[in-house]
Amino acid sequence: MTLDAAAALLMGLAGAGHCLMMCGGLAGALGQQAKWPQLLLYNSGRILSYTIAGAIIGGAVTSVASSSFAGLIYLRLLAALLLLMLGLYYGGWWLALRHIEALGKPFWRLLQPLAQRTRHATNFTTVFAAGVLWGWLPCGLVYSALSWAALSGSAAAGGLYMALFGLGTLPAMLAFGWFSKTLQSFLRSQGFRQTMGLLLISYALWTAVIALRQLIAG
Amino acid sequence: MSVKLPEPSAGECFHCLQPLPADGGYQVTLQQRDYPVCCYGCQAVAQTIAEQGLLHFYQFRDRSNPLNVPLVPEQLQRFEAYDDARLQQQFTRDSTAPGGRETSLSVEGMTCSACAWLIEKHLAPLAGIDKVMVNASSERVTVSWQPEQTKLSTILQHIAELGYRALPFQSASQEQDFKKRRRYFVTRLGVAGLATMQVMMIAVGLYFGMVSDLDDALRQFLWWISLLFATPVLLYSAQPFYLSALRSIQAQRPNMDVPVSLALLSTYLASAYATIINQGEVYFESVCMFTFFLLLGRYLELLARQRAISAAANLIKLLPAVAQRKNSSNQLENVAVADLRANDIVVVAAGSTIPADGKLLHQAAYVNEALMTGESHAVLKQPGEMVLAGSVNQQQIMQLQVTATHQDTVLASIVALQDIALSRKPKWVENAERLAQSFVKQVLIMALVTFLVWTWIEPSEAFWVTIAVLVATCPCALALAAPTAVTGAIHKLNKQGVIVRNADVLTKMASIKTIFVDKTGTLTNGQFELLNHYQHQPSLSLDTLLALTQALEQYSEHPLAQPLKQLTSTQIDIDSVHVVGGCGVSGRWQQQQLRLGSLAWIREWHPNFKPHGASATIFLVSETEVLLELQVGDQLRHGVAEAISTLQSYAIEIVMLTGDRAELAAPIADQLGIKQVYAQCLPADKLARLAERQLQHPVMMIGDGINDGPVLAQADISVSFAQASDLARSAADAVLLRNQFSALIPFYQTALRSQRIMRQNVRWALVYNIAILPVAMLGLITPYIAALGMSASSLLVLLNSLRLYR
Repeated sequence: MTLDAAAALLMGLAGAGHCLMMCGGLAGALGQQAKWPQLLLYNSGRILSYTIAGAIIGGAVTSVASSSFAGLIYLRLLAALLLLMLGLYYGGWWLALRHIEALGKPFWRLLQPLAQRTRHATNFTTVFAAGVLWGWLPCGLVYSALSWAALSGSAAAGGLYMALFGLGTLPAMLAFGWFSKTLQSFLRSQGFRQTMGLLLISYALWTAVIALRQLIAG
Repeated sequence: MSVKLPEPSAGECFHCLQPLPADGGYQVTLQQRDYPVCCYGCQAVAQTIAEQGLLHFYQFRDRSNPLNVPLVPEQLQRFEAYDDARLQQQFTRDSTAPGGRETSLSVEGMTCSACAWLIEKHLAPLAGIDKVMVNASSERVTVSWQPEQTKLSTILQHIAELGYRALPFQSASQEQDFKKRRRYFVTRLGVAGLATMQVMMIAVGLYFGMVSDLDDALRQFLWWISLLFATPVLLYSAQPFYLSALRSIQAQRPNMDVPVSLALLSTYLASAYATIINQGEVYFESVCMFTFFLLLGRYLELLARQRAISAAANLIKLLPAVAQRKNSSNQLENVAVADLRANDIVVVAAGSTIPADGKLLHQAAYVNEALMTGESHAVLKQPGEMVLAGSVNQQQIMQLQVTATHQDTVLASIVALQDIALSRKPKWVENAERLAQSFVKQVLIMALVTFLVWTWIEPSEAFWVTIAVLVATCPCALALAAPTAVTGAIHKLNKQGVIVRNADVLTKMASIKTIFVDKTGTLTNGQFELLNHYQHQPSLSLDTLLALTQALEQYSEHPLAQPLKQLTSTQIDIDSVHVVGGCGVSGRWQQQQLRLGSLAWIREWHPNFKPHGASATIFLVSETEVLLELQVGDQLRHGVAEAISTLQSYAIEIVMLTGDRAELAAPIADQLGIKQVYAQCLPADKLARLAERQLQHPVMMIGDGINDGPVLAQADISVSFAQASDLARSAADAVLLRNQFSALIPFYQTALRSQRIMRQNVRWALVYNIAILPVAMLGLITPYIAALGMSASSLLVLLNSLRLYR
């Protein structure tokens, strides 16, 4: 189980380039003079959303799917496939994953009106609320992590995976301004993203090999 | 609140600036206008941004592409200072492109050839850039650009964007950089060395059961000690590898430091994990040893490079900073050498270094040009002759009129030539590098395959077998094989007085079967003098005959006549002198008709005359008898005969090409044992002869570079002499600094030797890497053995190259 959790963290960390591209600098724009505690609060809100989503989906899938040994292994293989797709998506080799984002669109439409209310956020509650809402933005990265959480086997594990994933995205989102220019240019470079993509693909293959081995042995 | 949004660029997502997908992507409506986005994510984020009133984010954010991160303004201002034209005078020179300027920048933070590639790729598309050459080994970038189209500060800024610091090259600061880099490696090596010793001692104890009844608590204690020692090695000593790996990843050209870093970090982490949970295997000694040997290799490589570079860099350093200039009222004033301009009159004290190139005024002087030519004895310079910056005035105060300063001096052009040689990669090196690079990719793939396969077979072994594969097959030796040999060869050649402009000649040398040589100025000094004479008619004294010759030649403008104008102090008057073009001079002395001229011409009077010496060129005759024959010719250069016969002993054919008549060429060819001579060649004929031979095999041409331009350019290897001012524009691949033909021999030998060493290196590296791969994949070696094998193969290659320095 620890290795699966590590995979979630890795997905978050590896996504640094993606996060910078999508939302980097936005955190700064958010409050212009956004202070430390506010940023932290905002991101905590975001991670809380992820965790909730992870717990829901983890719990739901586990209760639906048969908890037989083979069933879990097939789930694992599916997770490996999704991880593989995420790796391909990072590297820019195959962008099929972005279609998964379409799944989240209707849900986001429900939340969108709420987001408007949090504009000009100043006090801590609204900042936190804005963060919570931001967590539900359609994002391919989040969805692949969620798919991983879905196969985690329990609501608690799903929540944990997503919390770890959120933690992994934290450096890119929170400490954006602290990164040196060189590091930023490195993180956003094609080479880094491809490397991360390859890392995820390797991880996916490894997961698949282990799952297959268990399947055959079992 | 309306915000003016930037125009979206075609084919790019408005939000994340990534290329749009092939099917066109999606749209987002912001302020009643549609913008293209790449995915639902971007669409939603952009909408949210608009709804939260944060559209000014698009206005102020950095729109440049991911490789392009803006600098902070102070840094920008510092770069702008370098746009000052007066300042630029000191470190830029005219480039070969019309209106272009060229400069060498020293770049901090370069670690490998991937960096060089990254910088080249990043600069080349800039408008107004003519040429970019990056030399990873000397950490210098040579840029030529059009000042009207782009500014130097823009170039500096572009390099800075990649995370490197580039500043105009100054040798003094380079020296410091070297020191800094040396310290960088020495401290890291020291840490790694000390830790390795400790950890190895423990490891030996643990492995070989020196403490056979080791109880568990003690073993765990020793593991912890090893962890303690290995940590600084991993965090501090191994930094250079991580940095280089990261940069190469950024450049999308993974180098060998990627598997190295991967292996180091995962071995360490796995060992640390094993230590903490107190079960499994630890390989701290492999981490330490691998780091130590790799660092040692890098350090030796650095030293070798520095030796090659500092030889040239030291030259410029020796120029004085202050010069004494005569001002308009004829008084001496001290000015910075940087402020000297052409036509300034400069006074140089005895024993001082000459600050700029210039024409010697007033009286002859002895100067020592050792700095440029390596020749330690003083050279006499006549008034009007050129003296060069960097040479030392030996005896008395001299005055000179400045002709070139700073980057335009001959000295600077020598340094520039060498820089270029070091930065141009010969094809061999490029091939070896490409090979190493594709090897890295294969190593990574093989490691992954090994890991997956072993996971299937025996998961508990998979990790360590993979590490062994990563470590053992790292193509470090392959990557070192070629560049170290080339650097060594260039350094060696410099010491031998040969500047190689294009390192490709090293690889071409072996295929050379024919050397074409120019006669005048190459085999000979190019100055005619009276070499020999023979008196046919004893009735007149030799002095009288010489006086007659001298008197007649006064009227001739022919080059062969020049050395015959002052033969004796006896004066004789001659009447009715006629100069007959292409034949000679005729005149009347004591009722006799005299002719002085070519053999063909005097044979009109003496059809059966046979010269005493075959190489006699000029004859003095009366209508009745032949009086005197003279041999005017070129003095052979020192050591030419030996050099030619040595070259011939290497089975190289020497062919003489000359514009001179066959009669003049033949004796010299005979004397030197040259079998093939093409005389009376116009430049076009020379070109044709050479091209004809090139159809059969590569040829080398050696000429004095002044009128042999086209032939030199045609030859596969062209060699020229350092005739001071011609140096900069000469098109030669190699320049013989000491003006000695014989320098060709060490040039030939060193080139062949470097080629041999390079071949040995590459062959060895390939054999090792290919042989070790299956062994490692089968799980037959531990990381410990793998590290030893890899380090040994790299060090072997390096030491083999170092032989060139001797």
